Amino acid sequence: MFYPQAMTDLQLIVPARDMLALTKVLAGQGVFHQVDASYLSSEAGSTSPDSWQDRAAEYAVLERRILVIMKSLDVEEGLPSSAEQTSMIEIEVARPKVEHIEQEVNKAGDQLASEQKKLEQIESTLRQIEPLAGIDLDMSALRDPQHIFSMLGTMPVANMDRLQTSLARIPFVFLTLLQDRQRAVVWLAGPQNNSDVLERAARSAYLNPVSLPAGHRGTPSEIIESLHTAIERINNRIAEQQYAVAQLHAAYRQQLQALLWRVRGSRMLVEAVAHFGQLQYTYLIVGWVPTSSMPALTEQLRGVSKEILIEAYPGKRGRSRQNIPVALNNPKLLNPFQELVTTFAQPRYEELDPTLLIALTFPLLFGAMFGDLGHGLLLALLGGVLVSRKIPVLRGLAGLGGLIIACGLVAALFGFLYGSIFGMENLLPALWMRPMDNIMLILLITIGAGVVLLSIGFLIGILNAWMARDWGRLLFDRNGIAGLVLYWSIIGLAAGFFIGGFPVPPLVFLTLAAVSGLIVMLSELLEHWIEGIRPLVGESLPTYAIQVFFELFETMVSFLSNSLSYVRVGAFAVAHVGLSAVFFILAGLVSPVHGIGYWLVIALGTIFIVGFEGLIVGIQSMRLEYYEFFSKFFTGGGTHYKPLTLIPPVEK
Amino acid sequence: MLTSGVAGYAAIHARARILYSRLLSPQEIIILSEATDYGTLLEFLEDSPYGPYLQSVDEKELTPRRAVFQIKGRLADAYLTVLQLAPTHTQPLLSQYYRHYEVDNLKAVLRGIISGASWSQVLFVLFPLGSESVLPAQEMVETESVAAAVELLRGTPYYDTLSHAMERYTAERSLFPLEVALDLNYWRELWSEVNRLSNQDRARSRRIIGSLLDMNNLIWAIRYRMYHHLSEEEIINYTLPIGYRVRDEDIRAIAAGADIPQVVARLYPDLPDPDVLLQEPRRGLPELEIQLQRHVARQCRAVFVGFPFHIGIPLSFLVLNEMEIQDLTVLIEAKSSHVPDEGYQPYLLTTSASK
Repeated sequence: MFYPQAMTDLQLIVPARDMLALTKVLAGQGVFHQVDASYLSSEAGSTSPDSWQDRAAEYAVLERRILVIMKSLDVEEGLPSSAEQTSMIEIEVARPKVEHIEQEVNKAGDQLASEQKKLEQIESTLRQIEPLAGIDLDMSALRDPQHIFSMLGTMPVANMDRLQTSLARIPFVFLTLLQDRQRAVVWLAGPQNNSDVLERAARSAYLNPVSLPAGHRGTPSEIIESLHTAIERINNRIAEQQYAVAQLHAAYRQQLQALLWRVRGSRMLVEAVAHFGQLQYTYLIVGWVPTSSMPALTEQLRGVSKEILIEAYPGKRGRSRQNIPVALNNPKLLNPFQELVTTFAQPRYEELDPTLLIALTFPLLFGAMFGDLGHGLLLALLGGVLVSRKIPVLRGLAGLGGLIIACGLVAALFGFLYGSIFGMENLLPALWMRPMDNIMLILLITIGAGVVLLSIGFLIGILNAWMARDWGRLLFDRNGIAGLVLYWSIIGLAAGFFIGGFPVPPLVFLTLAAVSGLIVMLSELLEHWIEGIRPLVGESLPTYAIQVFFELFETMVSFLSNSLSYVRVGAFAVAHVGLSAVFFILAGLVSPVHGIGYWLVIALGTIFIVGFEGLIVGIQSMRLEYYEFFSKFFTGGGTHYKPLTLIPPVEK
Repeated sequence: MLTSGVAGYAAIHARARILYSRLLSPQEIIILSEATDYGTLLEFLEDSPYGPYLQSVDEKELTPRRAVFQIKGRLADAYLTVLQLAPTHTQPLLSQYYRHYEVDNLKAVLRGIISGASWSQVLFVLFPLGSESVLPAQEMVETESVAAAVELLRGTPYYDTLSHAMERYTAERSLFPLEVALDLNYWRELWSEVNRLSNQDRARSRRIIGSLLDMNNLIWAIRYRMYHHLSEEEIINYTLPIGYRVRDEDIRAIAAGADIPQVVARLYPDLPDPDVLLQEPRRGLPELEIQLQRHVARQCRAVFVGFPFHIGIPLSFLVLNEMEIQDLTVLIEAKSSHVPDEGYQPYLLTTSASK
């Protein structure tokens, strides 16, 4: 729970004959995170990785062809049966089957498409000519005008204004004959001597000229009638073709679904194999498995092949260039908090997973800022509603429900401590203190709590550096031991200044601060020194001196600002009381006799406080976690654990 | 407005700020540019937030093209994060904004078909949109025909635009009309999404999207006149009458033959010597484009100061992240081709004065 799941580096050497069966086991267990080992292949390998890649590509092409057929027959993908998940199909077996169905479907589809294309063309001509139905003119007269430039055509509606703008300097006539959302049928005309300008403008505005089919003569209404007859004829032929396609759907639906899943499973299997290392008679398979799953997996693997060589190396939580995948290991209850962590970054393998810390500190910070028994319980209730998924529009927020419940309950607890219920300060006794009556005290306490939290952050950072065997960071970094000593020395100096009779003399803290400050200032140089990196200083000495001086200055300012940042916890606790008081005053103004208006304002105020203030306090808590706390120890950037499986996650 | 703004933008604001803080600083870009060769640059990048994206590929396969493809993965991830957390009413705009990578992919696919490239050659030129893309890119490349590829786009937002422009492609056998039609349609759609927003969001996005549009519109108009020698009416039809600072009159003036440096100086008074810059257009125009991009970058950075609950924050972050990828692309290409510092430095958007 404190660290990501322990992972084991699994390396298998498998005889070529057992390789496919073994891959099925690996994929079937769904615990093996594969690592590309194809670069380890020897040239003497029986099948080169490229040929596996080629086979994967062939399966992919075949899969797409099946999907295209299914789409044209309107067949849904369905779900795989267990037999289809594990039984591989050879490409030579699958391809003829696909080709046979494809041929039949294409034949019917091509005929249908051809008829539909004809219908589309005739309907397009009809749409263009319909607006001209009232004109008693032989259309062939428009075909070859002598003195004017004339163009009848279709163009995107979006380009119409621009076309007219582009012709502003010459005389022209532009008529829209028909227009839908996307396209318009237009007529553009102008003097023949400007035909070059008109033609360029029309072309660049994507005005596609339409020419009526040569076979159609006469007035527009005569042409329309003959087009209607043609449409009827084509529609009959389309209905026949659609019936043929429906027959094909019924005949091939099940076969296509089974083929799809077998080809898809085979493709994923072959893709996995393409990333194996291939030696002369064996395959090298490399990947990561959660250590807890190792015994079961090993047993399964040995059941498939007696000659398999299994080597397992537990992943070390030290500084290494290995990208060990990170599978977080938290109880389901902590999922909302884990989400908060991974929204910031995926922890690294050697790093402490801060989920539990967030689960403890986030509601605590929230509750301290939002301490109110009534408002807290309302918030917890809202969280319960979200978790229950009872309200369809709120289902998308269900993941936040657990977080809101925790925050609400801790806020209710602080309500007891502050003696506050729905903003009323006189109904409950304060078990600890009333923030409004002890403003300075609560601000100081929260800064103190911030110092404690940041110190915990430093200690975890030091632990992380220890685990990563990063001695430079551990000893000299601003977030390492030197940084922590510097931070505590500054805190000690400040405490000595404000608290009379402080037991430790300031000289001790001054000396510690000076030494640790110097170490932090020279941390890069010292880290290079112990890691054997030369030169110790990358740039010129004066530049380096100026840079480290300002870095130290920035470190001290950030220590100060990080600690003072927690003052907002106390400030919000006070503001919560103040905001509630404002609504009581407003309600009193609306209805001094505590009538319905009074309670309406109080109800609206409660909604506002729970919704708006709750949100702001949530953001502030997040800010304190992300910017102040995490910056002390959390690096992130780990690799996600993605186990190999034959069923894509969506289908799962 | 304030309430809904704060409620809607709380999560996205926090996330965008975290992501913003993880963008490379000018100092880091300088360190990267000091890499002696491509290999060293990759080593530097592996220690940066791009490390996990590069490390997921075997070192031998990290050609410059592949490296650029990998680092783009970080922008794709950032975009998905932003889109997931963005308030519902802003998602159409963000989706449409993201679509410009898809438009670029579509153009790359069409160019691949024309040049007879295989899918493996085209794949790593594309932006890694993953399941967000509606393009059947591989099938399109495998058709080996522009017309057949366009037919595969039925049901996507690109089909109408391309199928209408195909008539010109068939007549001219050039991708130019297809690409222009795609660009015009993309920016028009984006602008209408901007105008669908209300108040603060509209004002903020008009400023950012409008500035990007200004830059494109201006560069298009200059390029069409200086490089392609197009006529006034063609330039007008291939540009847009919308934007933030550049007005339609400015574009029409350029189309009608006005003095370009004068127009540019009037629009961007802070720009140093546009007349000197455009004396030699082949070099000057890319430099002008860089200057305008830096201007947009400054505007985006300014968004992070002041009232934070609006679309400007995520939008600016995405624009800045894209510019960072552009800089890294320049560095990767320069280092892999052994271009001397003075050859590529002018094309870096992030300079020491950037942040």
